[in-house]
Amino acid sequence: MIDPAWVSGLAAILFIIGLWGAFSRKNAIVVLMCIELMLNAVNLQFVAAANHWGDVTGWVYAIFAIAIAAGEVAIGLAIFLSMYGQHETISLDEVNLLKN
Amino acid sequence: MSETGIIDYAVLIPLLPMLAFPVILFLGKIFNGTPGWVKNAKEGGIIALTVMGASLVLTLLLIKEHLHHIGSTNVFTWFESSWWNPGADVAITTKVFGFGIHIDHLTVMLLFVAAFLCFLINVFSIGYMNTDPINDNRNHRFYAEFVLFCSGMLGMVLADSFLWLFIFWELMGLCSYLLIGFYWERPSASYAAKKAFLTTRVGDVFLIIGLVMLWNLFDGHLDYAYVFDPVNIAAVNSGDLQIALGMMFIGAVGKSAQFPLHVWLPDAMEGPTPVSALIHAATMVNAGLYLVARMFPFFSGAELGALSTLAIIIACIGGITAVMAALIAFVQMDLKKVLAYSTMSQLAYIFTGLGSALWFANNGHDDLAAFAMGASLFHLFNHAMAKGMLFMASGSVIHEMHHAHHEVAHHDDDHHDDHFDAQSMENMGGLASRMPITATAMFVGSMSIIGIPFIGGFWSKEGIISSAWQVALKEPIFLLPALLILIGAGMTGFYMSRMWFMTFAGKPKTEVAEKVHEQTAWIPIPLVTLTVMTLGAVVLAGMHAGNWLGNFETGHYSNFFDGFGTEIEHVFLNHDPFLMILTYVAIGLSLVLGPSFAMALYGGSLDGDKKAKPWMQWAINLSAKVNKNSNFDNSKWANSSLSDSLHKRLHFDAIYDAAVMKIVVGFANLSAMFDSKVIDGAIKTIESTSQNASRKIRSLTTGSARDYIMMAALGTLAIFILLWGVA
Repeated sequence: MIDPAWVSGLAAILFIIGLWGAFSRKNAIVVLMCIELMLNAVNLQFVAAANHWGDVTGWVYAIFAIAIAAGEVAIGLAIFLSMYGQHETISLDEVNLLKN
Repeated sequence: MSETGIIDYAVLIPLLPMLAFPVILFLGKIFNGTPGWVKNAKEGGIIALTVMGASLVLTLLLIKEHLHHIGSTNVFTWFESSWWNPGADVAITTKVFGFGIHIDHLTVMLLFVAAFLCFLINVFSIGYMNTDPINDNRNHRFYAEFVLFCSGMLGMVLADSFLWLFIFWELMGLCSYLLIGFYWERPSASYAAKKAFLTTRVGDVFLIIGLVMLWNLFDGHLDYAYVFDPVNIAAVNSGDLQIALGMMFIGAVGKSAQFPLHVWLPDAMEGPTPVSALIHAATMVNAGLYLVARMFPFFSGAELGALSTLAIIIACIGGITAVMAALIAFVQMDLKKVLAYSTMSQLAYIFTGLGSALWFANNGHDDLAAFAMGASLFHLFNHAMAKGMLFMASGSVIHEMHHAHHEVAHHDDDHHDDHFDAQSMENMGGLASRMPITATAMFVGSMSIIGIPFIGGFWSKEGIISSAWQVALKEPIFLLPALLILIGAGMTGFYMSRMWFMTFAGKPKTEVAEKVHEQTAWIPIPLVTLTVMTLGAVVLAGMHAGNWLGNFETGHYSNFFDGFGTEIEHVFLNHDPFLMILTYVAIGLSLVLGPSFAMALYGGSLDGDKKAKPWMQWAINLSAKVNKNSNFDNSKWANSSLSDSLHKRLHFDAIYDAAVMKIVVGFANLSAMFDSKVIDGAIKTIESTSQNASRKIRSLTTGSARDYIMMAALGTLAIFILLWGVA
């Protein structure tokens, strides 16, 4: 049995990597991947906690999160596609229609 | 108290005209201008006539059933309240809001007047409105508004509560506005319509205040059955009751065009003549009188003498208006305006009579009160019949003058004059031989209004004058109205004779007047009918109509042959010498003095060998003789400042206009300033502040996805920190 603390640590490291990536990269797809990474870090934490406490709730949350992440990816990619169609780029620095 | 009979169908009397209103309006909209609609349906006139005929038949049946007993019925209850009475172990249900019908002698009389005159004026309108080219293709609007008005009047008379009285009262006010402004394209007509509406509105505001006070005093009841119950009246503070009734009286003053709210009636003559006959002579102006007459039970039920002040005020308003209107009528040249001022003056008589009746009722003289009430209501009846006829006769004259003017203008282009005034008596003269039916109707109508012995209004006017003087013997303040209406009797004799002689006697004053002749169908029918009715009032007088009318519930009438003798004795050979002298003074003023002056100034024989009908020829001959033998010069009077101010209607209109300018416009400017500075200012400040704020907040949205992620992360962090802190 791995100590849950190690798993939590791994989840935290993954989350921070994801957050850092989401802030620093300008390619929209990479940002989306970073967000997925954060989600999975949380999923890992859920599963670990469920295992530790012997409570099924964490697993259920993880499965929900995976399902929703799948939908989010589908929508996100569709948005990027249409963004590319309009701006011919998916660089987040160059798309700022909402400014002011 | 509910019963069966015709009364079950009484609700149809106002309901049928009300239903005809949309029918005529929509059919008129659809078929406007088609030959069938214009020729056969008379642009809705036939529909209106059918409906008014049905209402009249129902009215007559209802009257036949209720000549001897009063009745009431509940037509529908909209909602009611009930509560549990634990002591008696039953639920008590109280009608809160519904419509019911109340019938007593007052209702019967006014219902007959309204239904009968509405029908006759409808007949007249078909002759008058449909042959005037100016009305082409819009008469359906006239007939629709006409039936709606009739519905209002009939409903007001039948209603069994003050609330419904008020509702129908306002319906009439609306139709009055619409009908006066029928020729809305004339600025003067739309001005007159607005003036009538707003002036009566002033009264109506007071009426509704009075009704609210009454509602409050009588525990939320306005139905006659409750408020006229002597037990309930005795439980009310009479000081408060007097104020409430006073407020309602101001409403009546507005509706019946009494001083100081009289200014709308003369201008209302801008409407078509049938409207003047209907609204401003025969029906609507009587609504105010009806309201005051309805107050009678309050006065007899309240504490002795507690409401005397109000009775005196009512009589004084009447007395002042009677003389003031008669004075202004002296100088009017417009045929209809003379009649308008005469209406004001005669209604004022009735108000004085009602004031006397209410004073007697409140001071415990029940017999005298019933006599005065009966005289007043009988005068209302006589005046409505005579004045409706006079207006229709004036309409007939004006109509034929128009026709003649068209003919003259057609034959001779040089004489075409668009400014020809077909209503001005200065353009008439000598019409007695050319319009025999109209001249006869006006002759009889004028005699009824003047109070020539044995004809129409004589019986009732004598009753009113003697009642007012009898009060004056007991209450000195009453001398003012009593004296005023006695003088007014002579003045009536002058201005009505002046009107008749200027129009019908003498030589024609214009070429147009020479060409006038009676030719329009439908118009003579109501004139003849009403002439007979006016002359027939002597029968009603003999049958003691006054007694029957004066006691709303218990009055009775007698056989004509039995009653006539006592009536004659009562009027001409009264056992009280004071009243007998009074009668002869009044007769002398109205029969001799007034007409003599009119004859001296305006009399004259007809042109050429023209002869009027024998019953009028003697008056024309007499006037010619008086005119020749008197060298009465009135030019000094005509140029005096009094005459000038009479021409300006005693400056009332100017004063009111100035008052409106100063007060209302000043107030309007003030409130406009308040609106633009304070209210708009506040809103604009809020607006500009929030705009500035939003401009600042907007800079937070950079449009960069990275910043949004940062915000989301920081927000989440903040929530975690908060939760941690709370935990």
